[in-house]
Amino acid sequence: MEARRMVTPVPRAARRRRWSPQVRRSFIKGILFISPWILGFLFFNLYPMTKSFAMSFAEWHLRIPSEWIGLANYANLLHDRRFWTSLYNTVYMVLFAVPLTVFSAFVFAVLLNLKLRGRSVYRVIYYLPSIVPVVASSMLWMWIFNTNNGILNVFLGYLGIKGPSWLTDPAWSKPALILMGLWGIGNTVIIYLSGIQDVPVSLLEAAEIDGATWLQRLWHITVPMVSSITLFNLIIGVIDMFQYFTQAYIFAAVQAGTTAQQLGSPLDSTLFYSVYLYNRFQTLKLGYAAAMAWILFVIILICSLLLLRASKRWTYYESEGT
Amino acid sequence: MKEDFQMSKRHWRSVVALVVLVSLFAACKGGTGGAGAEPELLRVWITWGDNPAQLQELFNRYAEANNVKVEINSPVEDDKVITALSGTEPPDVLVLGGPDNVASWVNEGLVAPLDELAAEYNIDLNDMYPAMLAQGRYQGKLYALPWGSDTYGLYWNKDLFEQAGLDTEKPPETMEELLDYADQLTKVDENGQITQLGFVPDFSWGHMEQYIKLYGSFWFNDDGTKVQLDTPEMAAALRWEQQFYSRYGADEVLRFVSSTGEYDSAQHGFMAGKIAMMVDGEWMVGDNFINGLAPDLWYGVGPIPYPAGHPERKDTNVVGGTVALIPSGVENKDAAAKLLAWMMTPEIVADEMVVNFNLPSSKKASEDQRFYQNEKFGVFIDLASSPNATFQVFTPVSSDLLDELELIEQQVLHQGADPGPLLQAAQAKLQPMVDEVVGK
Repeated sequence: MEARRMVTPVPRAARRRRWSPQVRRSFIKGILFISPWILGFLFFNLYPMTKSFAMSFAEWHLRIPSEWIGLANYANLLHDRRFWTSLYNTVYMVLFAVPLTVFSAFVFAVLLNLKLRGRSVYRVIYYLPSIVPVVASSMLWMWIFNTNNGILNVFLGYLGIKGPSWLTDPAWSKPALILMGLWGIGNTVIIYLSGIQDVPVSLLEAAEIDGATWLQRLWHITVPMVSSITLFNLIIGVIDMFQYFTQAYIFAAVQAGTTAQQLGSPLDSTLFYSVYLYNRFQTLKLGYAAAMAWILFVIILICSLLLLRASKRWTYYESEGT
Repeated sequence: MKEDFQMSKRHWRSVVALVVLVSLFAACKGGTGGAGAEPELLRVWITWGDNPAQLQELFNRYAEANNVKVEINSPVEDDKVITALSGTEPPDVLVLGGPDNVASWVNEGLVAPLDELAAEYNIDLNDMYPAMLAQGRYQGKLYALPWGSDTYGLYWNKDLFEQAGLDTEKPPETMEELLDYADQLTKVDENGQITQLGFVPDFSWGHMEQYIKLYGSFWFNDDGTKVQLDTPEMAAALRWEQQFYSRYGADEVLRFVSSTGEYDSAQHGFMAGKIAMMVDGEWMVGDNFINGLAPDLWYGVGPIPYPAGHPERKDTNVVGGTVALIPSGVENKDAAAKLLAWMMTPEIVADEMVVNFNLPSSKKASEDQRFYQNEKFGVFIDLASSPNATFQVFTPVSSDLLDELELIEQQVLHQGADPGPLLQAAQAKLQPMVDEVVGK
């Protein structure tokens, strides 16, 4: 906060008058420095976004004239069973995977913060999966999930449990993907870990002197003190999960063998929103795909705003409190 | 003053930097364009291929003979193809793994018609297998030419036949016999776990197009204007497939199939002797698959069985495979057509398809003795030459229909659903989509 105040060199009064040559020069320089980003934003963000918004009201063609059809794309979506399936699958992932990921990440962060011998080794071990490329880890997990020979079901077999057909049973395909996602929570753990280390030691010591147990200290001090980080992780998690694509795409592509590609198999249970959007794009239903993208944008926007609003009740910011 | 001068100089430098940056962007765009006095550059994109160097070498023969440069890009992803087709500089010739999307792209104006160009450049359409040629037509016009092709047959494991006391040289003749054989070739242990399966109709992927043709129908009528999903034939074909699951419990069959190895490995269900019979394509006998991965496998190949009572449908098989087309955005269509004509000459077709282990599209090419070095491959050439060899009608709605059908097939086979209502619902959804396209 301190730093931000210092970088604003222009006094208010001066800004109202004409800019002094020095200010103008630094303004131009500033613009030039930031110009790669501005250009990138204009060409690769703003332009495509505006265009896709326009496309969503048209039957968009690549080489023959496009046709304006108003809200027809949006109206057709309402009657598209696969659209609703994809939305259901995605919401399922958001509802189950995001809280589970955030919760597990917090637990791991707390454990990795314990003063143990070789703590940094554990931290590296838990972070390692996050640097494995998604494609590689998905391929690896397909082996783990193999119904009869996969390590997971073999292990379950030792416990006397007949493991499910993770990837071919529509009831288990999404849990399998969630399980695989939990393997790569290293990034979330790191963010939590930094937050936990920021919890003032004085508070924890005071509580300890007052006779609070470890669990009480965790619940009454650490959890509230990292609540802003929880909010951040939740929002990022929700945004990521609504755009879930790569893992589902790879699972479907690899399973289908070398020639065909059955997106969403088995039985459309892994047809996620972005996967279906991609499918529509590939079949050249460009306007339809654009409409889907904008609906997703609105859904994510609403979810983020709801989270932010609800968070006012349970997040605590140090700067506000003191 | 001096300071001001320095400032403006620095300012000027930044402007130069910006100009350089912008021109870099521009250069990226214009890089591939200028041909001018250099030998003309022809670009060929191929969506398949595990050996780009071999393809480049093949096309170098054309380049040397015609004083042009041919640049091969293989394998190209589908997404890139769509972008390129709509862009200003599409490849001169595009080679696809199958004609599935051609109708949809024609509908979008992305593909050049070939009838006149084929005549002008003496492409011998009569030398092409009729079923293979037909798959490149849409609404009466020719848009894609077959280069190589695939077709499917029945594979049977002779060792497992012998163990089950079946004649190793007598595969099932009819679809009903296939059920009976599958029963005899399926083994279940005392815990109810399947240890060997006779036949799985949708292994390694669905073969609905073969079965429905064997049942005497197809999901589009001949000119692609009518959807024919809610027909007795469709329901019958699906119910026939369903039995291979329902007899042993769909869950158990699925578990067993999903535990078999990957398609291009010796652990593959058929190569590993876990699944006794399967429907698969001609490439399976080649070096990349059985010949290379399980060379000692004792097996036979033959036509897919036909329904009892319809012996006239014996040898029915649906061909489909590699097609080549010229994108509508190509400026010099003559140069592209000339290259395409060269690709379609029997020698080139033979040379490429021998390497690929695919069926040649040219009748003359199929006389090449190299194709018969592997006698099982000859069975597939005979099938493709049979009068009962047929093809799929594709329309711009094909991919939506196939998505829908795939889902229905899974519901019927894997979950025991009744195909009737599902087919009716799909019919009601898809016919209006076809009407809209045809109405244009």
